[in-house]
Amino acid sequence: MSTLAPARGLPPRRAAGPLRRLLRGPWLLLIPAAVVVLALTGWPLIQLVIMSTQEFGRAQIFGAPPEFVGLGNYLDVLGDPAFWAVLGRSVLFAGANVLATMGLGIAIAVLLTRLARVMRTVVSIGLLLAWAMPPLSATVVWGWMFDTRAGVVNYLLSQLPGVDLIGHSWLFEPLSFFFVATVIITWQSVPFVAITVYAGLTQVPGEVLEAAQLDGTNGWQRFRLVTVPFVRPVLLVLLMLQIIWDIRVFTQIKALQTIGGVQEQTTTIGVYIYTVSTAGGNLGAGGAIAVILVLLMIVPAVLYIRSTLRQEES
Amino acid sequence: MSAAVSSRTGAGGVPAASPGAPSRRRPRRRGLGGRIVLNVLAVIVFVASVFPVYWMVNSALLSPGSVRDSTPHFWPDTFTLGNFIGVITEPSGSIEFLPALGMSLLVTLSTVVAALLFAFLAAVALARFRFVGKRGIVIAVLVVQMVPVEALVVSVYRVLDGWQLLNTALGLILVYTATVLPFTIWVLRGFVAGLPAELEEAAMVDGCSRFGAFWRVTFPLLGPGLAATGVFAFIQAWNEFLYALVIMTRPETRTLPVWLRAFVQATKETDWAAIMAGSTLMAIPVIVFFLIVQGRMASGVAAGAVKG
Amino acid sequence: MKRKLALAALGVASAVALAGCASGAPAEDSTGDIRVWLVGADTPQDARDYLKTTFEEENPGSTLTIEEQQWTGLVDLLTTSLSGSDSPDVVEVGNTQAPAFTSAGAFLDLSDEYDALGGDDLLPGFVAAGSYDGKFYAAPYYSGSRVVFYNQAMYEAAGVSVPTTLDEYVSNAEKLKAATGVSGVYWPGKDWYNALPFIWENGGEVAVQNSDGSWDAQLSSDASVAGLEQVQAVMNTSTAAKDGDESNAWVPFREEQAATLSAPSWAYWSIVADEDQKPTALTDNLGYFALPGKDGGAAQVFAGGSNIAVSAKSAHPELAKKALAIMLSDDYQSILAANGLVPAKVSLGDKTAGATPELAAVIAEAAANAKLTPASPKWADVEAAQILQDLFVQIANGGDVASLAADADQKIEAILNG
Repeated sequence: MSTLAPARGLPPRRAAGPLRRLLRGPWLLLIPAAVVVLALTGWPLIQLVIMSTQEFGRAQIFGAPPEFVGLGNYLDVLGDPAFWAVLGRSVLFAGANVLATMGLGIAIAVLLTRLARVMRTVVSIGLLLAWAMPPLSATVVWGWMFDTRAGVVNYLLSQLPGVDLIGHSWLFEPLSFFFVATVIITWQSVPFVAITVYAGLTQVPGEVLEAAQLDGTNGWQRFRLVTVPFVRPVLLVLLMLQIIWDIRVFTQIKALQTIGGVQEQTTTIGVYIYTVSTAGGNLGAGGAIAVILVLLMIVPAVLYIRSTLRQEES
Repeated sequence: MSAAVSSRTGAGGVPAASPGAPSRRRPRRRGLGGRIVLNVLAVIVFVASVFPVYWMVNSALLSPGSVRDSTPHFWPDTFTLGNFIGVITEPSGSIEFLPALGMSLLVTLSTVVAALLFAFLAAVALARFRFVGKRGIVIAVLVVQMVPVEALVVSVYRVLDGWQLLNTALGLILVYTATVLPFTIWVLRGFVAGLPAELEEAAMVDGCSRFGAFWRVTFPLLGPGLAATGVFAFIQAWNEFLYALVIMTRPETRTLPVWLRAFVQATKETDWAAIMAGSTLMAIPVIVFFLIVQGRMASGVAAGAVKG
Repeated sequence: MKRKLALAALGVASAVALAGCASGAPAEDSTGDIRVWLVGADTPQDARDYLKTTFEEENPGSTLTIEEQQWTGLVDLLTTSLSGSDSPDVVEVGNTQAPAFTSAGAFLDLSDEYDALGGDDLLPGFVAAGSYDGKFYAAPYYSGSRVVFYNQAMYEAAGVSVPTTLDEYVSNAEKLKAATGVSGVYWPGKDWYNALPFIWENGGEVAVQNSDGSWDAQLSSDASVAGLEQVQAVMNTSTAAKDGDESNAWVPFREEQAATLSAPSWAYWSIVADEDQKPTALTDNLGYFALPGKDGGAAQVFAGGSNIAVSAKSAHPELAKKALAIMLSDDYQSILAANGLVPAKVSLGDKTAGATPELAAVIAEAAANAKLTPASPKWADVEAAQILQDLFVQIANGGDVASLAADADQKIEAILNG
C-alpha cells in the first residue's frame, strides 16, 4: 500500500517488517481523522446518494419503505428551470463574494505587515471582533442597520443634502438584496482570510526579500515574485474554501429573507436545498440537488489538487 | 525551544538567520506621507470592522424602548445594564443561560482540541508522505466540504441515534469535529508543506524518531497555522445552530446559539435590546479565546522568523 | 478465535434483548417521565403548572416535563426528533404544519379517543387539519384570532366611522391616508394571513380539491382577483415596508404612524404599553372591531393556532394520551381561554377573555367565522417555499395582480400535485 518513500530524501532507516512499516507510515496518522469523518460525514453522504435515487419524503423518515426511482429525481431537478435560475444566481453571487473577500483579505494582510505593532494590534482586534460576531446576530444587526423604517444607513444617507432614503427598502430589489448580503458575508469572511494570509506572509523569509531588494526590485515586484509564490499554497486553499463556502451560503441569505425581499428571486443553492429537503420534506430531490452541486464543484477542485500536488512533488 | 530549533536549522543546512533578520516586520523606512496613508487605511479597516459590533453593544446598553427610535441613538444615552441582567437571569424558552454557556464551552473546546490534534496528524501524512491513494484522500477531504450541511442533517441524526449519542455532549463534539476536520486538515497541510522537511531530518539526525520529529519540531513551528485553524474551529463550533437544534433537544443540553434563537422568539414582542445583549455575551468567549491564542500566534510568528 | 467472538456477540445480543424485555415491558405505561413539547410562549404559565400538577397527581410515580421549543426550525426539529429513539411524547405543532406529519405516520392514531377528547365539540377546521385518511391523529389545541385595532382620534379627524362592510373598510383606508398622511391600514407585504379574508369574502379560494383528489389553485379566478385588488388598494395606503413582515407591527401603530392595524388579539397589550411598560398615545384612544364581511357581519378570517399529538415513537403512549386528555379538559382549556386564546372546544368559545368585555366579544365574533388553509399534506411545503409571501410582497409593490396570481397558482399546483 504505502511506498513510504520519504518525501525529501530523509536518511534511510533500519529495515522494518511490513506491518511495522505500515504502522509507521501515513495511514496511522490518518486513522483518527478518517474514523470521525467517515462515520459522521462519509456514511451520511452515502445515505444521501442512496436517498437521491429514491422517492424519499417524510413518510420514509418515519419508516415507510422508499421506492427506487433511479435517476428520476435528477431528471426532475435538471428539467426544472427554477433550479437553473438558482444555480446561475449562486455562481454569480459566489463569484462576486470570493473576489471581494480575497481581494480585501489579501490587501488587509499586506497592510498588517506594513503597520507598526500598536496599529497592527488595533486592526487585528477590529478584525477579530467582526469575525467573532455570531452570524445570526451579525445578520440581525446588519439587517437592522439597513432597516427600511429605522435603519441607521437610511438615516445617515438621508443626512446628505438632496438624499431622502427614509422608507427605502434595501432588500426588495434582488440586486440590492445581494449587495447587502455581500456586505454582510464579506465583512464576516475577510478577517479570516486576512489573518490566515498574514500568518502565511510572516513565514516568508526576510533575507530572501532583502536579497531581492539588493537586486534592485521594487516593492510590487518583490510582492509578486517572492511573497506570492511563498504563500501560494495558503492562497489556493483559501480561494478553494471561499468558493465552496460562498456557493452554499445559507444562514445569512435565509435570515435576510425573513427580514425582507422576495424569496423566489433571492434564493441561492444552499437555501434551495433546505427549502426542498428539510422544510419541503422531499429528501430525495434535495439529495439529488446536493449531489449535482458537488459534482459541479469537483471539476475545479480536481484541477486545483492536481496542480498543487504536482507542484509539491516536483 | 526556538534556540534549539535555530541551532538544528543551522545544522540542517538551511541558512541560519541573523538575530536581526525579521527586518521587514519593522515598518520599513518610509516617507511621512506613506505612513499617514497606511494608518488612515488601518483606521478605515478598523472602523468598518468594528461599527456593527459597536452598534450591537450600544443597543444592548440602551433601554428597550429607545432601541427602535426613528432617530438612532449613537451612544448609550439611556444607559442600562438591565438587558444583560435579564438575559443572564431569565430563561429564554425553557433554556437557561449558564447551563447553555457551560455546554457550549464544553462542546467547543473539546472540538478544537480533537480537531487540531487529528488534523495535525493527517496534515503531516498528506504533506510529508508519498503513498498510493493520497490524491484520492486529498480530493475526498475537499469534496466532503462541498456537501451542504442542510442536506446531511437527517442522515447524521440517524447515525447518532444508532449509537445512542443523541442529547449527549460527545455526540455533538463528534459531529462538529467531523465538520471542521476537512477544513483544518486542508489549512494545516498547506502550512506543513510550507515548512522545510530539513528541520525534521535534522531532528532525526539528533536522535528523534520520525514521529518525535513531527511532534517536537513541526508541531511547534505550526503556531500561526494552529492558531488560525483553532480560532476557525472554535468559531464554527461555537456558532453552529442546525445540528445543535436537532441533536440536543433537552433544555439542559441546549447550546448558546439555540438559546439565542429562542430569545429572538420567546417573547411576543421582539426585544432587540435583549437580543443584542445576548449576542454580546455570546461573542465574549470567542474574543477571550482569540486573545489567549494570539500570544501563541506571536510566538509562532517568531519561530517562523528564526526558521527562515 | 472466530467462534469465540461469535459466541460473545451472541451473548451480548441476547443480554440486550433480555434487558429490553426485563426493563421495557412491565415498566411500559405504568410509570415514566413524559416530555411535552410546547411551542413559543403562547401557553400561559398557569396552564403549564396545572398540566404538570394534575398529571403527576393522577399518575403517581410518573413525572411530566414541559420543554419549550420555538417556531423557527420546528418542522426540521420534529422531522428528526419524532423519528428518533429519544422522541418527545406529546408535541404541539402549528395547524398548517400538522398535515405534513399526520400523513407521514409520525403521530399515534387517536381515533379511539376522539369522543373522549371532546368529539364533535372540537374545532372542526382543526380536526380536519389533524386527520388523515379517515383517522384522527392530532387534536385541536387552541386557536388565535385577529382583531382590527384603530386610532379613534384619527378616525374622527378623517370623518370615518367603524366600517360595516369590507368595501367600506377599503374606502375608509384611502380616506384615512388622505386625511392623516400616515398609513390608512398598516400592512407589511409579507403579512399574507390578513389578505386571505379578502379572497374568501369575494367568493374566491386559495385552492380547492377536484373529485379525483388533485388540487386546483384558484388565486387567479375572477373572484379571487377581485379580492386581491382590494388587498392592493389597502396596501397602497400603508407606509410599512413593502417586503417587511408583521412582527412588531404594533410599534408604528402605537406611535401614531398608522390609523388602523389588523393583528392577533394579544397585540392589545403591546399597543397600550411600550417596551418600558409606559403608556402610549393609544392607551386611551384605542378602538377595535372584527373585520367586516362583504355583506356585513364578520368576515371569514384565517384561524392560526395549534394542534397537539402523541408521537408514534413515544415510550409511554398510554401516559402520553392521559397528558393529552388533560390538555383538552374543560379546566385546562378554560385557563387558555382566560388568557385570550380561543379554546379547542366550541362550547367553551364564550370563555375567551379580552382585556375588556368588548374586546372579548370582538374576538369571539371573529373566531366564530374562522377558516383554514387548504387541508393538503403538502400545504406546509407551499408555506416553506413562501409562495404567498412572495405574491403579496409583489402585490404590495404595485405589481399586476392577475398575472402574479396566475403565476402563484402554477407554483402552488406544482407543489400540491407534485
